[in-house]
Amino acid sequence: MREQPLKEVTQLIHAIKVGLVEGSYGITNKTLDIFKYIIISKSWKNADALMQIVRAQCRILQAALPQETVTSNIARRILKLTREEFDLLHAKVQHFADDSQASLSLHKLVTQTSESNVSVDYSVPQQGLREALLDHLQEVETELETSSENICVQAEEHIHSSEIILTLGHSRSVENFLKRAIKKRQFLTIIVAECAPACRGHNLAASLAAEKNVEIIVIPDAAIFAMMSRVNKVIIGTHSVLANGGLRAACGAYTVALAAKHYSVPVIVLAPMYKLSPLHLCEQDAFNMVGCAEDVIPYDSIPAREAKVYSPMFDYVPPELVTLFISNTGGHAPSYVYRLLTELYHPEDLEI
Amino acid sequence: MPQITETGKEFGEQESFISSLFKLFNRRLLADVVKYFLQLLDKDKDMSYGIAAIRTLLMILEKKQFGTIHILHTTMREAVAAMRNTDLSIAAIVSAGELFCRFITLSLDDKHMEECRLIMINRGKIFLDKLDNSRQVIAKQAQRFISDGCRILTHSRSRVVLKALITASQNKKSFHVFVTQGGTGNSGEEMIRDLNAAGIDCTLILDSATGYVMESVDFVMVGAEAVVESGGIINRIGSYTMGLCAREMKKPFYVLAESFKFTRLYPLNQRDLPNEYKYSRKHLSDVSKVHPLVDYTPPVYITLLFTDLGILTPSAVSDELIKLYM
Repeated sequence: MREQPLKEVTQLIHAIKVGLVEGSYGITNKTLDIFKYIIISKSWKNADALMQIVRAQCRILQAALPQETVTSNIARRILKLTREEFDLLHAKVQHFADDSQASLSLHKLVTQTSESNVSVDYSVPQQGLREALLDHLQEVETELETSSENICVQAEEHIHSSEIILTLGHSRSVENFLKRAIKKRQFLTIIVAECAPACRGHNLAASLAAEKNVEIIVIPDAAIFAMMSRVNKVIIGTHSVLANGGLRAACGAYTVALAAKHYSVPVIVLAPMYKLSPLHLCEQDAFNMVGCAEDVIPYDSIPAREAKVYSPMFDYVPPELVTLFISNTGGHAPSYVYRLLTELYHPEDLEI
Repeated sequence: MPQITETGKEFGEQESFISSLFKLFNRRLLADVVKYFLQLLDKDKDMSYGIAAIRTLLMILEKKQFGTIHILHTTMREAVAAMRNTDLSIAAIVSAGELFCRFITLSLDDKHMEECRLIMINRGKIFLDKLDNSRQVIAKQAQRFISDGCRILTHSRSRVVLKALITASQNKKSFHVFVTQGGTGNSGEEMIRDLNAAGIDCTLILDSATGYVMESVDFVMVGAEAVVESGGIINRIGSYTMGLCAREMKKPFYVLAESFKFTRLYPLNQRDLPNEYKYSRKHLSDVSKVHPLVDYTPPVYITLLFTDLGILTPSAVSDELIKLYM
């Protein structure tokens, strides 16, 4: 039987497609709301049934919006939460609860006995699971709400007076981060690469220029390398972080990262925890997306008749070009991302 | 006075007699162990040395009674040492043996010795089942990385790489594999024969042609004899060259290795690798004129490691080892 999407899910998909819901924070928030609604009002009998509903809806979201990895990330969080709460409530398996995150380790391979080998039966009805889940969902919501603020607090540690910062396009986390830095530090110069063809860098520049005490320079993307020699730090946002610590970021990010590498400029990436996804770069076709070409060459122009025009949306940036990730829980090296992922998601939920 | 000396001597003689008896007995046991180990490998050509070593150790545990844990431990160590003395590459034997000894210490409880033994045998079987399954798990993980129409470079023969390629071919993917000869011996040719039998397009190339074909392949996929603590690998000689070439041409370098190959070793460079890993037994007395059988590929050249514990970055390997040997 094919799974049917809930009404709320179809609405969300529509809203995202027509651009009513924008930015990964908005999408994450709305997705979380849907899962909360599922937990509250759907008549699931046990943890297994709930997990099946969550998985089914997540698959639908994934199929409709293959680029928005945050929806699956938040679903994985919910699944892990369900597992944990179930394990906690289930008295018999209580002592395995803390083991659950490391369920695939060399240590476990060696110490495993036959009884712990049997996977937990989630289909047993459990009293109070719904309440416990809602309780913990509150924590996830709070974490989401405060994630931007928690990243901003770290601005002072990374940006110092009279530094020259380069950024690309318009990321909301970067905007808030830089605004905080401008308040605390003096004589900053911020170079914004416009990120053609959408040129969202212009919006960022306008927003930052409203602050006092800061010099804003907008450059075309072609000038990134030329400007890099005098830059102290590169600070960019990202669309998502992959399992190896690589980035799927706005097109142009790779250019920035390579230029930064050439001049040994540190590259700092702002990535709240919900952007961490346990995926690897292997299916090349699903990785990128081409946007509207009208911005590159207008449809009614003469070259448009002859030329093929592409406007890819994303760049893959390999982990060795990233110096530091700043998430709401602190700074992490790219080689540490795998560890964060094992803490964040249950290994059995990597494939939904 | 003389009487005392007399008794002392007698006692000493008796003790030496017992210990020599014990040694003789042990030597016979060890000879049996090695025989059993070699038989296992002979019977099933596809069995990895590590699995065979663990099977052998489990056999000892089943066949023999042990008075104390200490004796059990020494016997196991001696058995591992005896297996190391065969003319096979020792990397997997060492790591599997170490893992098994760790397994014994971790399963200890305050129970009676015989009870302990039964628990260990029981757990050992579960352990072995998991290990036997590991090659399939790895092959499955690698599937998403082998895309239709891609070109793959591999080094010599590796059973787990072969398994992954055959599984991909069974999943109706068509791709081309370049196989290096792999130095002395004919392991590369064997690999070609196996691939041809599975109906996979393949080309045998010289080891020295690695640089030549690198520009035309999509990624490199090799096996490993051992995965060391740094996240680097020890593998048949030429793997390091391949890693260097792949890095230079920016091609991904994937390693497929079962988790029992994780070894507690931290080589700093090629010279730092222990000689037993690098040379065969008969050359160990003078290594100045023979060339090594394996080399060490540092973690910087490795993109990802596919193991039965999941797809790991090189930095995750030491984490796994620390968790086990802490």
